[in-house]
Amino acid sequence: MAKRDIVVVAGLRSPLAKMGGELSKVSAVDLASLVIAELLAQQSFPVEQLDHVIMGNVIQPADAPNIARVIALTSHIPQHIPAYTVHRNCASGMQAVTDAAQMIQAGKADVVLAGGVESMSHAPFLLHDKLRLALSDLQKARHIQGKIKALLKIVQAPWQPRIALMEGLTDPTVSMNMGQTAELLSREYDISRQQQDEFSLQSHQRAAAAWQSGWYEQEVMTLYAAPQFKGITGDQGIRAEQSMQALAKLSPAFDRPLGTVTAGNSSQLTDGATILLLSHKGKAEAEGWDILGYVHDWAWSGCDPKRMGLGPAYASEKLLLHHSLSMQDMDRVEINEAFAAQVLATLKVLEQSQVGAPDMSRLNIKGGAIAMGHPVGMTGARLILSTLRQLQEEQQNDLQSGLGLASLCIGGGQGGAVLLGVEPCQH
Amino acid sequence: MPTLIQKTASHGEVRFTFSRSDKSVNIMDEAFLTQFEKHLDALEQETVDSVVFLSSLPNCFIAGADLSMIADVQNEQDAVAMAKRGQLLCRRIEALSATTIAVVQGSCMGGGLELALACHAIIAVEHGKTQFALPEIKIGIHPGFGGCVRLPKRVGWLKAIDMIMTGRILPLKAAKRAGLVDLTCYPEKIDAAIALMRQKGVTKRKQKPWWLRIYPVRRLFFHLAMKKAQQKFSHLDLEQTYPAIPATLRLLEKIYGVSDDIAYNHEAKSLASLATTKTCKSLIRVFFLGESLKNQDAVKKGRKLLAKEDKSPKVAVFGAGIMGSGIAWVCTKLGQVDLHDLNSQVLGRGLKAAAKFAKREPRRLQWIRPVQNKSGLHNTDVVIEAILEDIDIKKALWRDVEAAVPEDTLLLSNTSSLSITAQQQDLNHPKRMAGLHFFNPAPKMPLVEVIAGAKTSKATLHKAAALAANMGKYPIIAADTPGFLVNRCLMPYMSAAITLFEQGQTVEHIDSALKSFGMPMGALHLADQVGLDICCHVGAHLGEAFGERMQLPSWLQDVVKGGHLGVKSGQGFYIHQAKKRSPHQVMHKYASTKHAIAMQDQSIVDACLLPMLVEACLYLQENEDTSLEQFDAAMIYGMGFPPFRGGLLFYYTQRPQEELAQAIAAHDLNVPENLSRLYTI
Repeated sequence: MAKRDIVVVAGLRSPLAKMGGELSKVSAVDLASLVIAELLAQQSFPVEQLDHVIMGNVIQPADAPNIARVIALTSHIPQHIPAYTVHRNCASGMQAVTDAAQMIQAGKADVVLAGGVESMSHAPFLLHDKLRLALSDLQKARHIQGKIKALLKIVQAPWQPRIALMEGLTDPTVSMNMGQTAELLSREYDISRQQQDEFSLQSHQRAAAAWQSGWYEQEVMTLYAAPQFKGITGDQGIRAEQSMQALAKLSPAFDRPLGTVTAGNSSQLTDGATILLLSHKGKAEAEGWDILGYVHDWAWSGCDPKRMGLGPAYASEKLLLHHSLSMQDMDRVEINEAFAAQVLATLKVLEQSQVGAPDMSRLNIKGGAIAMGHPVGMTGARLILSTLRQLQEEQQNDLQSGLGLASLCIGGGQGGAVLLGVEPCQH
Repeated sequence: MPTLIQKTASHGEVRFTFSRSDKSVNIMDEAFLTQFEKHLDALEQETVDSVVFLSSLPNCFIAGADLSMIADVQNEQDAVAMAKRGQLLCRRIEALSATTIAVVQGSCMGGGLELALACHAIIAVEHGKTQFALPEIKIGIHPGFGGCVRLPKRVGWLKAIDMIMTGRILPLKAAKRAGLVDLTCYPEKIDAAIALMRQKGVTKRKQKPWWLRIYPVRRLFFHLAMKKAQQKFSHLDLEQTYPAIPATLRLLEKIYGVSDDIAYNHEAKSLASLATTKTCKSLIRVFFLGESLKNQDAVKKGRKLLAKEDKSPKVAVFGAGIMGSGIAWVCTKLGQVDLHDLNSQVLGRGLKAAAKFAKREPRRLQWIRPVQNKSGLHNTDVVIEAILEDIDIKKALWRDVEAAVPEDTLLLSNTSSLSITAQQQDLNHPKRMAGLHFFNPAPKMPLVEVIAGAKTSKATLHKAAALAANMGKYPIIAADTPGFLVNRCLMPYMSAAITLFEQGQTVEHIDSALKSFGMPMGALHLADQVGLDICCHVGAHLGEAFGERMQLPSWLQDVVKGGHLGVKSGQGFYIHQAKKRSPHQVMHKYASTKHAIAMQDQSIVDACLLPMLVEACLYLQENEDTSLEQFDAAMIYGMGFPPFRGGLLFYYTQRPQEELAQAIAAHDLNVPENLSRLYTI
């Protein structure tokens, strides 16, 4: 079988809203379903053509086991179309897309719906293990003595809930939360508070400008969220009036009082969903579908969990070297803005590498997660969609290579990078 | 007569299978009862361990007693005899020495449930249609085959009173929770379930709740129950209008704690007195009218046409206002619905309105997709518009829509006043356009008018009627004349009420007379609810077509100009406050200053309803296809004409024709030529 060129036919995402904000009453399942319904309707896509549904999700709500399947059924996708969920922490949405690409490449599917969804607002509170055991003892106890014993244990057990979101953002193998890994990078790579804040300001300004110019309107749907059903258009976290003074006022969030990583120069905790429709060139052309762009290749890499923020540097290097390309060949680059310090440190590492670092004029030019937010399981898919759309936009103006790179860091010490293009791969 | 009940016996177990072949459901009619009695005669001579009752119809155990049997009962003796016959049947089942088991799959209603209650055990089979109810109250009677006596013993008094007084349907799970059902099982395990119940034998049940045994508490309880029941109909004299409600409560109190023999006697007597009332006859009639609308020819033909398409239709509703969002919600019964509006705020409000209806079925809301950019029309099967009532705007919309949808997409207009023929003018394929007029609020009002324009094809009309029926509505085919059917008849009624007001009758007096007649609200309150501006607009429109009789007085225009629009502006005939309303003093200057003597309630009702009746006759004269039954159904389901009166035509034809003609003439109305046709009802 000839190698298939993987294409993205279409993509759509929800607006991003801060945790506890406009989308806080919408479950992850409903959030993704709303985007899927809108995408399929807008594209006039015949749903029977789907072969598979793959979703990335990190929090994995207890009431939606294999959330991809629950989402597919909720979106009224026919029952015979299978679905599964992937979890590669912050890269789950990207993993869903690369899984889809792999499946299509292997000839196991022709059309796959892939994406990521995260409702950080719905992150659960958990019980302490001792309390959990004591509660199950109470349930098991048959006699009054046993019940009293269990009750005593319950009274003594720590009752404070464990906050799943905080635990999820902490690396258990090195006992550092993600903010602390960013602090570590800022110290080791000597990235000042000023530099971080400047980068963050730029993210807000770029995102605001892109929204202002209407660039995002094709990418982001209007979402009518229960219970108020007000139409939400636009990412809610962007501050067009963000200033260095305002950023300077914030105190360090992870290392007080001397740290440099603040709420202002970190990504925001948000809710959102992105859905892409993937196929291959032969199928898309036969059906007469538009082609948004091509997924050429991807790479995953591992690194020190304490320095997980450098992941994109290693993954990008691996991917580009494999294709004998450098950052200079990339027209557009996205490095997910988990933390300003982490992006800046990644750039420093890339500068020292064989592939070099991208210039600011090609990096995250439509703003990033610091302005818009980082719904963990979703971001990877959003980066791919955004990069493809940026390339398509630039196609009208002169492109050098028509290639782009979407990359992100992954909690637990990994990096992911996807090579994208406006033209089919040269085999 | 075909065999309705089959008997099979093996290993000491006798099975009776209800297998109706001439109808789609098992009902207890004369033939059924006769056959059953013969079987019992034989059975009482045998010795068996257990007797099982089942149905061979997958969707129905027994749907209840034959309604026409009740409708035909003329005098109390016959009614008592009918009740006693059913009671005896159930008592004979109860008296069998064998273990008796009812295996219920599908609906088990009324007499069917009473039969099951006479068994030692009820096994419910898991099936989407398995449900239990004693719905007799809805036709103005109460259970008469011993159900009032046996149900409280099985599920306790509280649940039993709830079931008997509301006719509530209990799905399988709720029935299990209530204790009505002893065991639930899957269809494959019926034999095992029967064996298990045989083994278990008879279970003893306690009298629940214990505190009802204390006389004063019981008295108080029934007193409060009566009060609560009356609250719902505070404007009506229950004894006259819905006698079954107080009578049933009185019966239940009377049979508490007495011996079965006496209890059954009370039940039969009470049933007999109710079954012979006008209310009962009217309500049974209304039930049949509804059924006839749902099963009319147009619906049957339309269903056949729809079935060819072999997928659920995708609907697009244009306009997310109150009507549009309500219609969108109703359409989710069919499948996917796109709710279109150009304004995102209106869309948001529309979704919120739909969400209110969705409280019980939140999942259904997911079928509605809000659309601002007119996307998704390419594969739409049905378009319903509920936008502004302006012919040019509607025509413009249809042009846009027709360019975007496939050639065979149905185009349906929810207009209340604009002509369908006019809307068809500019269409390339006008055959597929019809009117589908919902009433406000669409999710609650059961009637939908289906209107054919000059170029509408039969197939379109039939499909539209079938769609309405599939949405759970009663479709009625109405003529494409202004106001269609219901609004046309409503206008002279409102106009007459306003004339009474001009003549010096007070707002409260007019409305309370109409309310105690049974109308859901008074005519002037209704005018406020609709909006006085809209009333004027519709009045002018209908006046143009039909002349003076539709016209509202010109001073109403001034009132509207003064900003008194009714409920929406807070002021109209009434001042509307959050939970209160009081007559508006400003309106007094338009009323006659002469001291008017308050009219009798009945005179007010006649003064308002006779113009409606005359209009009805004119409509029927113009549209001979519309049957009197359909017309009455439209009045009841479309404008809330009191069901216990049996319908407008039915109500007035209770009077001799001459007397009626005189009354019409006395109200300065032309006596319709076709008045005698009404008497063929």
